[in-house]
Order: sequence, then structure tokens, then C-alpha cells
Amino acid sequence: MDLARTFELVGFGPDGWGAILLAGTATTLAAAFCGLLLSFVLGALGASAKVAGGPAARAAAETYTTILRGVPELLVIFLFYFGSSSVLGAIAALFQYQGFIALPGFLAGVLAIGVVEGAVMVEVLRGAFLAVKPGEIEAAKACGMNTFLRFRRIIAPLTLRHALPGIGNVWIGLLKGSSLLSATGVAELMRQTQVAAGSTRLPFDFYVAAGAIYIVITVSSGVVFQLAERHYSRGVARP
Amino acid sequence: MNLEFIGQTLVTLLAGIPITLELAALAIAGGALLGFAIALMRLSQHPFLYVSAWLYVQIIRSTPLLVLLFLIYYGLGQFSALRSSFLWPVLKQAYWCAVIALVINGSAFAAEIFRGGLLSVGRKEVEAARACGMSGILLYRRIVFPLAIRQALPAYSNEMVAMVKATSLASLVTLMDVTGIAASIASSTYQPIPVFVAAGAIYLLINTLLTRAVRALEYRLTPHLRPAQYATASAVTEAGVTPT
Amino acid sequence: MTTAVRLQNIHKRFGALEVLRGITLEAQEGEVLSLLGSSGSGKSTLLRCINMLEIPNDGDVWVAGEAVKFRAGRQGQSRTVDTAQIDRLRSRIGMVFQSFNLWPHLTILENVIEAPIHVLKRPRSECIQEARDLLERVGIGDKAQYYPAHLSGGQQQRAAIARALAMHPNLMLFDEPTSALDPELVGGVLRVIRSLAEEGRTMLVVTHEMAFARDVSSRVIFLHKGEVEADGPPEDVFTNSSSPHFQQFLGREARTE
Repeated sequence: MDLARTFELVGFGPDGWGAILLAGTATTLAAAFCGLLLSFVLGALGASAKVAGGPAARAAAETYTTILRGVPELLVIFLFYFGSSSVLGAIAALFQYQGFIALPGFLAGVLAIGVVEGAVMVEVLRGAFLAVKPGEIEAAKACGMNTFLRFRRIIAPLTLRHALPGIGNVWIGLLKGSSLLSATGVAELMRQTQVAAGSTRLPFDFYVAAGAIYIVITVSSGVVFQLAERHYSRGVARP
Repeated sequence: MNLEFIGQTLVTLLAGIPITLELAALAIAGGALLGFAIALMRLSQHPFLYVSAWLYVQIIRSTPLLVLLFLIYYGLGQFSALRSSFLWPVLKQAYWCAVIALVINGSAFAAEIFRGGLLSVGRKEVEAARACGMSGILLYRRIVFPLAIRQALPAYSNEMVAMVKATSLASLVTLMDVTGIAASIASSTYQPIPVFVAAGAIYLLINTLLTRAVRALEYRLTPHLRPAQYATASAVTEAGVTPT
Repeated sequence: MTTAVRLQNIHKRFGALEVLRGITLEAQEGEVLSLLGSSGSGKSTLLRCINMLEIPNDGDVWVAGEAVKFRAGRQGQSRTVDTAQIDRLRSRIGMVFQSFNLWPHLTILENVIEAPIHVLKRPRSECIQEARDLLERVGIGDKAQYYPAHLSGGQQQRAAIARALAMHPNLMLFDEPTSALDPELVGGVLRVIRSLAEEGRTMLVVTHEMAFARDVSSRVIFLHKGEVEADGPPEDVFTNSSSPHFQQFLGREARTE
């Protein structure tokens, strides 16, 4: 592996794949970010079902986390991508349409990684909520705060502070998991790397470059999360 | 969706279970061994050892397994020296590439878990052992490792489940494990949903059994954490007398 | 004198354990009641029944002449009927907890202004001004910008008292306010509570501080196994109580002090 050649290849020069890799990186970040939003919504729903739900809601949340944490992410991605095409195809057939239709790979992939990491987020948020001391919630009750105000001013901010490290892990999981979207043809970083590796016949150089880009992203998001944690945990004792 | 099709699919998928289990077993065993060595390096006093171990763990944990797998499977072939070496018969096989990638990936996570376990062993227990005249390998073999393993087991059980799931990536380098077979049936039958659900059920079953087994092991190893009436004396003497 | 709190035949069970067995009690405005009793006697539970942090299984509660609405549920757990009423009453009852329960993500000043701004909807600037005066008064005016975790237990408890006072409560409940404090920090907190008593505030104090109960309160209530065993002015109860349990209790407390 010739370093000068590698830098030229992944750079932005005339023979460089830099722009394409950068576009792939942007898609990777977008997929992970959309996945984070979805996983947060699912996590919040699941955690509240587990903490405060009735028997049916608790059982549903329990089933969701058990299944999604025991099944490979790649299978879930395949299920969403190819499964959506069979569902949509069946619907289209009702309207006499015969062609191949599917959810766009990006959308199906984001749904899949969001659902997978949502199961992790359920436990993150549940644990964070349980780390809020009951006395702190009681003090809010004793001041006459109603349920909504209590949640908005006391419970939610404290839960989020306790959850930050876990949310950081989910984010890393989403970044890495998004590389599997390449298997359904989404033009994210891994897919673009494959294209570059194939057409230059220099797979080693490009996969090392891709690895380096993933490391830069995870390390810098680690720094961001650590700063956020330090900022928000002023005064909050770690559980 | 008919039951007959699901039944046939399950039978076909069963053919992929041996390779999935082999990959998982090799990854777990290899990852544990390599991870243990790296954990010891992380805890050593030697700056070169712990810095390189730390760097290894950071790099591997920040890189998607798929990048590592493709780097090994597609990337290594780029070097003609390697292609003509004695290693090539192994490295040209997708199977061994998958095993190597899984072992490397698993070892970084295992190293952190083992390190946590080793750090959790209290100074008092070690001091007590030293006071009995234990030191060096004997101290580690009889006191430190047994305590560290008990501490690390719950976290390592999650890691084992993660490794089982990670084996599915082998299908992306042409291996016909459960996921690989599922993908091929799905594309030939145009019935992806029942196929992938059935495949998911197989992984779920494997992981459930694995978790149960580790929990049973953990229960046997930790009579001291249970209330006295539930801790059987036999388990205590067994753990104490059997040479390990 | 008007009645600040009235409890009528209060029963409270936790599972099979009956913690309160028919307690009847009245506090007039301006009175300072000390609730004494060994641990498990139900005194904290009784206090928490007044602002419905615990809901009695049976009995009636009046606060400031208003009957609190609640009803016993089927499986023994009871529930409130009118949460808006409970929230309104709670905003007029200040409570100070054994473990302070300051909100850790807010500074001391933010802790004090939180409920006045969001529950009472008072203007922020006014609340801040008043909070600073209150913190000055409890002796921690210089700690306004600190987070609770950076304060000693005694300072945290004084901040919690300021937080309760900021709501202009008609009634103050103190649940063992000094029990979680190191001995050298108790005095400062008791001085603040004593000064509030001298202002003529209505207060119910669950305490183990015998000297405080004797000197500061206008009435002493002794609970034993969920029932009122003695009730009267401190001089009567401490010197003439016929209850053998109270004498035993005094003996134990004297040894531990």
C-alpha cells in the first residue's frame, strides 16, 4: 500500500474519489441521524410502557425489545427492504400495476436501523428514568406541579441527563449499523467505498480509508457527547 | 402466506444453522482468548503494551464490522506477496476471512469487559491471598480470575449474543449461513416476509438458549450472592475443590 | 382561631401492614405541632397524608376548611378524585423532606423559583428577587448559583426550606428535617425552623429532636403503632404523660442523643 497514492485516490484531485466518499459520508450521517430520531421515539414509547403501562403495553414493549435484541440487524434490514416491496407490490397489484416497487432503500434502511436501535433505547431510557430519585419527583408533587409540568420540568430533563451516555452508544450503533444499508444498495459511505474499490481494483486502500472515516466520525461524536454530558451533568450525581 | 411454505423454508434454513453456529463458536472462543490477552496488555505497566492495546480497542470498536470483513476478504488480495504466501489458502476462503473478522471485532469488546472484570477484583481479596502466601500465577489462577469471570459474565453474555448476530454478515461474503440461505430463498420465491421472519426466529431461538445457558452458569458460579437458604453447599465446595 | 388542618379517623395500610389506625387530629392556625414516635409509628406517613403524597385508605382530611376528595379503591389502594384540587392544595402546603430532594439539575436559585414561576405563574424577576431574600434569610445567600451537589447537607436543607417558603404556604410540613444531617449541621437548620415558628407560621414537624419539640412547639403529639398516645402542650406531655410507651421512648431517645 503506497500512502501517497492512497491519499491521491481518496482526495479531491482529478483522480480522487474524495467527493464521492464525502457524499457517502453525508448519507451515512443522515441515515444514522434519522435512525436516532426514530429510535428515540420508539425508545420513549417502549420505556414509558415498561415503566407506567398496563399489562398489555408492558407485554408489547417486552416482546419488542426481546425480539429486536435477539435478531441480526442485517435480517431486519432485508425484511424491511424486500418485505416492503412484497407488501407494496401486493397493494399495487390490486390496482392492476405489475412493476417492481419498493420503499426507497434509504427509507427502508432508516426504518430498520431505527427499529433495531429503538429496542436498545427502550432500556437506556428506562434505566435513566429509574435513576431519577423518587424524592425529587415527590418534591415536585409537593409543590403542586401537575403531571404534565412535573414531566416537563423535572422528570424529562433529569431522565435525559442520565440517558446521555446510553444515547451516545445508540448513536455509535446507528453509525456502524448504517454500513449494512450498503447491502440494499443505499449510496452511503460503505457502498461508495465498494464502488471505488471495485473500479480502482484497490480495495485495501479504500476499505482502510472508509475505516478511518468511520473512526473520525465516532471519535468526534464521542467528544461531542462527552462535552454535552459534562455540560448537562453539572450538579447531577452519576448513578 | 401458507404454513406449508413456512415449514419448507424452515427446513431449508436449518441447513444454515451448522455454519452459523460454527462461526459463532469460533468467534466467541477466539474473541475471548484474544480479548483476554488484550485486556492483560491494557492492564500492564508497560507503556507500549497498554497504549497499543488501547489503540487497538478504540480502532476496532469505532469501525463497522462490515468494513473489517471486506478489508480482509477483498482488501488482502491486493497484495501479490500475500497471494503467493502459505497463508493464502486460508485467507482466500470467505469462511476464514469471516472468522478472522469476527474474532478481531469480538476481541475488542471482550477486552473491555474482561478489563472491567479484572479491575473489579477488590484489593482486600488480593491482600488476603497474598497474606496466605499466594502470588503470581497462583494468585491470578485461584483468586483474581475466578472473581473477575463472575463479575464479567453478565456483560459477556450480551457480547456473545452480539457475536451470534454478527455472524449474519458472513452472508455478505458469499457464505450460506442462515441469513445467506434466507436471502437466496427470498429472492427466488418472492416471499421475503415469511422467509426473513423464519430466519429471525432461528436466531432468536439460538440467542435465547445461549442466554439461558450463561445465566445457568452464572447461577452455579455465584452461590455467594444468593440468600443463604438458596445457596447449596455442594456448589460452594465444588467450585472450591475442583482444580481449575 | 381557625383550623388549618383537620384529620378525622385516618387509616392507612401498606399491604397487610396497618400503619395508621384511626388518627384524629386538629391543628389551628399559628400552632406548631411536633409529631414524635419511634420509627415505624406512622408519623411520617401521617404527615404525607396531609398533602396526599400518601392517600389514606379511610377517613377525612380537611385543609384550610376544604375537604380533600379521595376515595378508597377496591384492592386497598386508594386514589384521589380531583387532581386539580390536590395540586392546588399542595401549592399552599410547603413540605421539607428528610433527604432534601432538591432538583439536582437546577441551581439553588432555580430550585427556589421553579414552582413559583411555573405553578403560581408569578413574574420571573419578582420571584428571583424574593428567592434571593429567602436564601439570605436561611443563611445561604452566597450559594444561589451553586448546584445542590456542591452544598453540604445542612445548606441543602436550608435551601429546601427556602424553596418551600417561596410558595407562601399557609402550612409547613417538616418530615424529619434534621435526621439525615451530620450532628454539627443540625443546629443551623433548627435555628431556621425555630425562627419560622416564632413568626407564627402553622407547622407540623416530625422530629427526633426532643429539645426542639419541648422548646419550640405549642403542642406535642406522640404516636405509637399508628395511634395517638399523647397529645398536649409540651410541658404536660413531657412531665405528666401517663403513657408507658412515651416514657420508654424518652428513655431510648435520651440514650441515643
